[in-house]
Amino acid sequence: MHIRKPSGIALRVATAVLLSALTAGLAWGADARALLKESENRHRTKTQQYAGNLTVVNKEGKVRKKGWKSFRQGYAGDARNLIRFADPPEVKGVGFLSLSRSAGQNPDQWLYLPSMKRERRIATQDRDASFVGTDFNYEDMEEFDHVKYKVAMQGEQTVEGYACYVIAATPLESGGKSVYEKKILYLRKDILYLLREDLYLKGDKQPSKLFVLSDLQNIDGHWVARKMEMSDSRKGSKTTVVLGEIAFDKPQPASRFTLQNLNREGGD
Amino acid sequence: MTRLHLQVCLFLLFLITSTQALAENFSGYVEAKGFAYPERASYRDPWVLGWGTLFNKWEQKVGEVQLTASLRGEWISSNEQGSLLLDLADRHIRRPPFSVQDLWVRLPIAPDLDLQLGRFQLGWGKTDGYSPADAFLPRDFTDPFSDEKLPLWALRLTGQNSSLRYEAVACPVTTPWRIPVLGSRNAPLKAEGFPAGTVFKEVDSPPPEVGFAALRLLYTLGDWDLGAWGRAGVRPAPLLNFRFDQATLAPSGITIPVERRYAREEAVGIELSRIFGSWIIRSEAAALLSRERDLGDALIGSLSVERGFGDGTLLITLAGNANEPPVDPTLLFDRALLPALISAWNRTEEWGEWKLVWTTGLKRGDGLLKAEAGYNLTDLWKVTLGGELPYGSTAGPFGALYADRRVHVAIRRSW
Repeated sequence: MHIRKPSGIALRVATAVLLSALTAGLAWGADARALLKESENRHRTKTQQYAGNLTVVNKEGKVRKKGWKSFRQGYAGDARNLIRFADPPEVKGVGFLSLSRSAGQNPDQWLYLPSMKRERRIATQDRDASFVGTDFNYEDMEEFDHVKYKVAMQGEQTVEGYACYVIAATPLESGGKSVYEKKILYLRKDILYLLREDLYLKGDKQPSKLFVLSDLQNIDGHWVARKMEMSDSRKGSKTTVVLGEIAFDKPQPASRFTLQNLNREGGD
Repeated sequence: MTRLHLQVCLFLLFLITSTQALAENFSGYVEAKGFAYPERASYRDPWVLGWGTLFNKWEQKVGEVQLTASLRGEWISSNEQGSLLLDLADRHIRRPPFSVQDLWVRLPIAPDLDLQLGRFQLGWGKTDGYSPADAFLPRDFTDPFSDEKLPLWALRLTGQNSSLRYEAVACPVTTPWRIPVLGSRNAPLKAEGFPAGTVFKEVDSPPPEVGFAALRLLYTLGDWDLGAWGRAGVRPAPLLNFRFDQATLAPSGITIPVERRYAREEAVGIELSRIFGSWIIRSEAAALLSRERDLGDALIGSLSVERGFGDGTLLITLAGNANEPPVDPTLLFDRALLPALISAWNRTEEWGEWKLVWTTGLKRGDGLLKAEAGYNLTDLWKVTLGGELPYGSTAGPFGALYADRRVHVAIRRSW
């Protein structure tokens, strides 16, 4: 079976957490970049772990599910991630290790395939490739790094009954080639948590993809959306991610983020 | 063992693992597979072949100790299975109906040092398609187009110290390669020029008791992954002794006993891989030394490039042996296809995945084209359609399998 690099719903979760960090009380009209910087400073978590369950429903209504466990240590530029798939049986035991490198460099990434009994180093994927058959692409999996975008406050809007700030993020040339022409971010005003992203592909008048976060909970002092949905209007499909067993700042074994551990069959 | 016994055993195996209370730590699958052949090498070859498999794996973690056991039960409609019900070390020439694939425990000795002992598979090397580090490990070629590794009884110590990893393996018992029935469409031995009607009487020669020992070091440095390894002991691929002196003449033709012997071999090798943008280059080189006249030394190198294109991956591997083998390389199994170019393209689709693999022998002009598409009915049910097309000179390892051209269909239920 061909298995694509499962880089990270983990990273998507980290993005959500990062944006959730935007503190309440900042005045309307505040500099969007200042908000993003502030969020990163205040809400870094030392570690994060969760069990994820993913459901893909295509336009014919066919349902596919995947389950995995994710562990992260560090944050953004110094993050180390380990993901281990648990379901379906066909991908059980597949592991993915990502170790960040110095600024501007792609992380080192390896995939462990139980059928081969060894790890394989993998290269950066095309950013528009589908992530393990879902509606997320590899760019969607990357952490939102505001320095790669021109960001601007657009106004306010109500989403799911909550007042939100609206920030437009346009990819900068210096940030690398983006799949998207524009992203519109909706931040809940009271806790400044990301509730929605409208994702515009090049040439789009309406967003091709919608990313919606819901079922917010405060765990270990950090807001986190336990449910995330990515819908693709072009394909008519939707991917839902539900997180469980979430824990922040729980000490991780020093040996968890090593190639030795990645190769431990049955390990996590 | 009678067919009834086998069916009862398979049914019991299924019942055990489908019990809800036990199911939590179990995974596995049941698969029915059918092959159809447009031609035969002899009247003994079937036009169609059925293959049923039931595989169950149990995994349990007790603290930091990992326990794993798995059992495979099989039914094959041809005579490829031996008379033994279970061959615990896979030391006999025919594939048994039951096989222990895993029976091992992994004990943490220190945070970065593990001891694994029992029966398990090894996976070595860097280059996919052909790896000199991995190629010598025992394989089961009952199905000549599958690359099925045999597990080993072994003790394995693995550790990591910063960017350096090390692995020491001691395999006290030889598990030999399992090769197809000689003279069948899967091993026609055309290269030896035996007269038509020749029958090979395979002697189940016992392999040596002792296995091999190996040490492997791996180091990661930025975009580079480097490795070096060495091993010594019994080479598990057999050398065939055709006992012409004991040949007998039967009404159907000549019957030639075939014995197997196993050479000692020492080998050292290096591995490296590096990322160049979206490409990954992997390479290996190995020197294999033996005093066995019919084996000789080998200097094997391999180079592969891989790149992802959207949801697909292209892999190209070139492998060759700088030394000319002293005998027909087809009889050396792991070196049979060298030099070779292996190209593989696989792609994940919304409905499943497909792959195309083209292996071409660069010396004798033969090759193998494989195609397979897997359709996911659900997350647990899958249908696979495929075909294998060996072609070219019958002096080559693939061309000789001309009567093995086939299509196959399989349905699998996983849990």
